[in-house]
Amino acid sequence: MSDSPDTPATGPTGAAPDDGSALDFGSEPAGRELLPTATPARTRAAVRELVRPRRGLAVAGFAAMIVATGVGLLVQPLLGRIVDIVADHRPPGDITLPVVLLVLVALAQGATTALGLSLVSRLGETVLARLRERFVEKALRLPLEQVEKAGAGDLTARVTRDVSVVGEAVRDALPELARSLLAIALTLAAMAALDWRFFLAALIAVPVQASTARWYVRNAVPLYGRQRIATGSQQQQLLDTVAGAGTVRAFRLEEEHTERVTRRSSAAVELTLRGVRLVLDFYNRLHIAEYAGLAAVLVTGFLLVRGGSVSIGTATAAALYFHSLFTPVNAALVLLDDAQSATAALARLVGVADQPSPEPEKPEAGKSEAEKRAHAPRPRTAAEAEAKAGGTVTVTGIHHAYEPGRPVLHDVDLTLRAGERVALVGPSGAGKTTLAKLIAGVHRPTAGSVRVTTNGAGESRDGVPVALVTQETHVFAGPLADDLRLARAGATDAELRTALTAVSALDWVVALPEGLDTVVGEGGHRLTSAQVQQLALARLVLADPPVAVLDEATAEAGSTGARLLEQAADRAVDGRTALVVAHRLTQAATADRIVVMDGGRIVESGTHDELCAAAGVYASLWEAWSGTRATADQTPTHHRPDTTTLKDH
Amino acid sequence: MSPSTPSGRDVLRESVRGQRRDVALGSLLGSGHQLGEALVPVLIGVVIDRAVTKSDTGALVLWLGVLAVVYVGLALSWRFGAWSGDRSAARAEHTLRIALVRRVLHPGGGAEEGRLPGALANIATEDAKRVGAVNMAVMYGISALVGILTTAVVLLRTSVTLGLVVLLGTPVLLWLGHLLSKPLETRSATEQERAAHASAVAADLVAGLRILKGIGGESTAIARYRTTSRDSLQATLKAARAQAFQSGMVLTLTGCLIAVVALVGGRLAAQGTISLGQLVSAVGLALFLLGPLQVLAWVNAGLAQGRASATRIAEVLATPHTVTAGDRILAQPVRGAVRLTGVSHGGLREVDLDIASGELLGVVATDPAHATDLLRCLARRADPDSGTVELDGVALRDLDPAELRTAMLVAEHDADLFEGTVRDNVTAGAPDSADPEPAMTAAGVAQVAETLPGGEDTAVGERGRSLSGGQRQRVALARALAADRPVLVVHDPTTAVDAVTEAGIASGIREIRKGRTTVLVTTSPALLSVTDRVVLLDDGRVTDTAPHADLIARHETYRTAVLA
Repeated sequence: MSDSPDTPATGPTGAAPDDGSALDFGSEPAGRELLPTATPARTRAAVRELVRPRRGLAVAGFAAMIVATGVGLLVQPLLGRIVDIVADHRPPGDITLPVVLLVLVALAQGATTALGLSLVSRLGETVLARLRERFVEKALRLPLEQVEKAGAGDLTARVTRDVSVVGEAVRDALPELARSLLAIALTLAAMAALDWRFFLAALIAVPVQASTARWYVRNAVPLYGRQRIATGSQQQQLLDTVAGAGTVRAFRLEEEHTERVTRRSSAAVELTLRGVRLVLDFYNRLHIAEYAGLAAVLVTGFLLVRGGSVSIGTATAAALYFHSLFTPVNAALVLLDDAQSATAALARLVGVADQPSPEPEKPEAGKSEAEKRAHAPRPRTAAEAEAKAGGTVTVTGIHHAYEPGRPVLHDVDLTLRAGERVALVGPSGAGKTTLAKLIAGVHRPTAGSVRVTTNGAGESRDGVPVALVTQETHVFAGPLADDLRLARAGATDAELRTALTAVSALDWVVALPEGLDTVVGEGGHRLTSAQVQQLALARLVLADPPVAVLDEATAEAGSTGARLLEQAADRAVDGRTALVVAHRLTQAATADRIVVMDGGRIVESGTHDELCAAAGVYASLWEAWSGTRATADQTPTHHRPDTTTLKDH
Repeated sequence: MSPSTPSGRDVLRESVRGQRRDVALGSLLGSGHQLGEALVPVLIGVVIDRAVTKSDTGALVLWLGVLAVVYVGLALSWRFGAWSGDRSAARAEHTLRIALVRRVLHPGGGAEEGRLPGALANIATEDAKRVGAVNMAVMYGISALVGILTTAVVLLRTSVTLGLVVLLGTPVLLWLGHLLSKPLETRSATEQERAAHASAVAADLVAGLRILKGIGGESTAIARYRTTSRDSLQATLKAARAQAFQSGMVLTLTGCLIAVVALVGGRLAAQGTISLGQLVSAVGLALFLLGPLQVLAWVNAGLAQGRASATRIAEVLATPHTVTAGDRILAQPVRGAVRLTGVSHGGLREVDLDIASGELLGVVATDPAHATDLLRCLARRADPDSGTVELDGVALRDLDPAELRTAMLVAEHDADLFEGTVRDNVTAGAPDSADPEPAMTAAGVAQVAETLPGGEDTAVGERGRSLSGGQRQRVALARALAADRPVLVVHDPTTAVDAVTEAGIASGIREIRKGRTTVLVTTSPALLSVTDRVVLLDDGRVTDTAPHADLIARHETYRTAVLA
């Protein structure tokens, strides 16, 4: 058991020395509350629900497949008939009729197979599409707290690996399995129709096949699980090493990293070969079954022909039938494995898709719901329009602990007045980020309450009352304009430009190869981390929430970049109630009020001048900072106009 | 890889040559298996002929015995032949992967430039796998040819007419099938790409879930995803229909071939030219022949893929190094005097800079891009366009970059952490016997460790992701300090660190680097205040140099750059 990425530093940590199982989404790290998985019964019911509206399609598809397989089974008796014509020394011209029939069978079989396969895949694909839509809908609505408890890897794994496993099963395994099973069933029936004793003879192979299949699944499932882990950790190591190549070279770690990759790659190779051996042993056993069945059918044919109860042609047809069973039987047995993993993946998808739909707006803000709704939109006064400021945040008596016994916040009271910009300052581990998350509604406090009161200005849009921007950098794949419109769906290009201007990003955006339409994100044009943060701030401007929480939104940009981002952030929160977790004291010093935290408590609160005068924690922080700037007499000015853009470097 | 700039063909050839024993053994045994599989329908015919038709018990026992022997033979040769093939593929893949990693990590660099890490990792996994699989394709190809040859011999010996019908009919059938499916295939490939888009979009949305929730964009995202999913569905359905049509077509064609074989064979048998059993064998062999012929088609596709992948691999392996190794060596011990003379690179313009041995120098660049350019030259990730950088009087371009890095460490702002514990990361570049504690204390890692559940033995996760940005930065700085190089250049080491900690780190750096050359490229006043002097790089030129306090007092540009 080991950790997935994004484990909070306070979380449980695997001690396995060689874990590297960042892609090991299958294993369940101890202490994690994974997202729910549906029971087999519930999974079946969910599939039935999805299929029900398309019952006609399902019936037609399977009917076509049955006809196709049934028609195909006429081939062997027709061949047997030719054998009989020859054996009875009838004129060669008699062969023409069965041959023509063979051609007709071929045409009919081809047509019905094409029809059946296309209907079955239409059914499968449509159901799959509905399922993934429902899954994504529920997944995006999951409370962040639940997602974080499960580890971000859990949801990602479900949306990538599980969806693709089910998709592949629907696309390849399902039609193939249906065809194979039908072929097996109908072929056995046809053999029974020739003579019931052929059927009995064919069954001799079944015990061997059944036990082989059981043996295979028993060994294959855990082995493939380990294989996935090994391949995942090899991939992870490769990414680690390749992405960090500069660092590897700088520290002369070339040999060590080559060694790391070699180790992981060897492990993956070893497991791959173990899987190969398993499959080969599997086929070996099936060869035994094939031989036993074939010999039995031939002996039966021999005895029945000698006894005069069947013709040579019938015996031939039976042998050919059995020979033609090899392919579908092998296919069906191999697919058992796929079917098993697809079922498990399906259960994980249904588990999330079945989640009760929370209210579209943040339920975490719980106690504030009533108040938010109580304020019907009212005409805005000139003063309000001027201030645009819409939200008051009242934090009362909050205690919080991620794990019982490890409290992070103690008895925190804080009020953010409408339009006020408050900087949160304190050493690492003081609880700043936790407080920010509680106010943004990501977590529910262990005790105490967070109230957000909006005055109506923010309710004209169906956005969130409190928006959160963190240092997390993600750009949504696709045109840049689409990324921005996630914050405001109907925004015009002019509105997008205004928002980009506000965060000093318009210059580089219009300089992109296709301006606002440039494809960014995964596989698209690469943006610098500072540019990504500017986009995050532009989204904030577009979402236009009454309250904004900024947590280290400027930390990743390097010091010069950080300053430009701070200015962009200032403009983005202009006129909003804002809580800014500040690392650089210059940013704090320009705020309306500074709140200092230490050890999970608020220890000071006031304006820059008040706190400096108070000679407390902040004053000493400022001392550490300004000791170096004794000559800088002025406190930084608020809202400095600045048009500098961040260069793409 | 033997040639220094291998082509795709070289990569492919080397890959097979490296596994030649396995490939040869696999081909031999695989051929044995094909031979056996071809004999099964023949033996069914023989049993019908000799035993069933004539009611001969002795013959039945005899030929079932022969069938058993054939089965044992084909099963065993399959078992060991396929094993050799798979093993050769897996080993070749592994060898290529390691060769790629060695190239990427080569001190001369260059391989990763212009390529995303994900793309490179993909070449080292997917492309390596495809080239490795060529070994298997060769083995299966040879076996299939032997299978076809066996069938041909058996059929032609039975009847030349029937043999020709089958031998010409099957390739024609496959060719027809290929012809019919070709336009479908190209269409379905693009459609499948569109289909795959839906899952990519879903993964992307989930990856940005926090951001989405932060701005309340869930509803928009859900609506957008639904459109994508429906689009994808339409594309998939088209592709699936095409595929279904193709399957039906192949079935029809196969059925027609069997009808033709039955017609010709039946007439020959009715005329008494061939026996009943031979007729049965011929039908069976016609069906069997489809197998090896399809294998050949698969081998062909595999070889094409392998060639394309080999070209991609060769491109990486053959990327020229950005910097080359010179033949001068540094005098030991390294004093650590660095001199830049007329260096122009990127935005730098004729920079002259003399860094004395043991000096703690601050460098402030008004444009962050210029700081990056300077670091590139010092780290020798690139050589300057003009001018020279010297260490102890030796031009960097005359040195082996690997040796240079042993003397001078350039710790980048975005340096990556690697999987392992906090302590593992800190000691990664340190001399074996060194005590990492002073470096950890200086960089403030001691405080980080206090808040972690396992202290310094806490695993940091891949690329250090389980740590916060500020924690990562401090661990990276401790690693740079612990490496204990005669010259250390650090870029913006404290941007995500709070002010109190930053002040502590500043004095920690000064303390631990006492007497050794250290360059801090930053605009943080806390760090600059502990330096001996600061150089101001404005507009790519050195415009002033003086102690921090003096520059603050006298230089407006400097004040703006550092204190804004």
